[in-house]
Amino acid sequence: MAMALTPAQVRKLNVLSDTVLYPDAVGLINKLVLEEEADPLPSTQIVGLLSISWANTYGEFYKFVVHQRDRDWSAAKSDIKKFYTDLERYLTALVRRVRGEFQLIPQGLDVKSTRQMTDDIMALLVQDLVQHLAAENNRLAVEVSRRRKNYARR
Amino acid sequence: MNKDMRMMREINIQAIAFYEAAVKLGDHAAFAFRDLNRSKKNSHRSQMTGLENIAESTFKVADILDYIKKQIARFDYWRKGYPRNADPNEGFGEALKKYLENDMKEKCDTICRRLEIKDSTDDDKYKRQQVYLQLIRQFIRQMVVEYEYRISKEENGNGTNTGASA
Repeated sequence: MAMALTPAQVRKLNVLSDTVLYPDAVGLINKLVLEEEADPLPSTQIVGLLSISWANTYGEFYKFVVHQRDRDWSAAKSDIKKFYTDLERYLTALVRRVRGEFQLIPQGLDVKSTRQMTDDIMALLVQDLVQHLAAENNRLAVEVSRRRKNYARR
Repeated sequence: MNKDMRMMREINIQAIAFYEAAVKLGDHAAFAFRDLNRSKKNSHRSQMTGLENIAESTFKVADILDYIKKQIARFDYWRKGYPRNADPNEGFGEALKKYLENDMKEKCDTICRRLEIKDSTDDDKYKRQQVYLQLIRQFIRQMVVEYEYRISKEENGNGTNTGASA
């Protein structure tokens, strides 16, 4: 069962969404699409990610990401694997930051409660993270499509 | 003057400074959405209402930026340029996003420097976020007012926003 967050924790999560998750999400997508010239994620993947980020626990979301990373994607869809590889790495680091740098877990909780609270907080962070990823991905998808059409016309 | 009043004063000072930019973007929006007006009466209003609603109700700046990006991705009129701009090909949505992410962020930093709001404690970070949110809300209100004014002028046949330079 989800643990109740204090108003201070909720406030902190909102600040983190703006100051950490948003720039990190933009960075992740820009690195893939603009620097590595990968294709933006197709809408089916975006819809799937959004759906799972809202409906499931963090553990289930993480399992989904790992599953997508480890799938045997065709060469044409190898960019999808790249995305999930980067996302998994980011999530693993984010869990460490939740416990350390962000100081979101109160001191003195037992192991079970710490794990539960970490999962609950990660579930909330992931909802925002995926929202930011989806928005930037979709914006860039339109831009990439426009550039390709212009190039094809030449 | 207490801190909250000082903050509102600083935001109002910046609101005067960014009024011109808000008018420019309001005109850009009116130009970009004007064809909507002809085909679906009042549907253009929902574009700005959606933006206003999210700005006024959210606790996060990123929600506003994500909304703008979603609209850019979904609707070609959010990607429409404006001949009066320095870059006439830059779409309305991109211009708005850029202004909020860059210029408005700078104004937020200016206010925080003047109010001695640093960036180290949780309280400081929360106050910074509130300053940024309030600035964006003011800006969007001003922009929407200009947009509505421009649209109503066109509807009443008092001038067409062709986007040509004055």
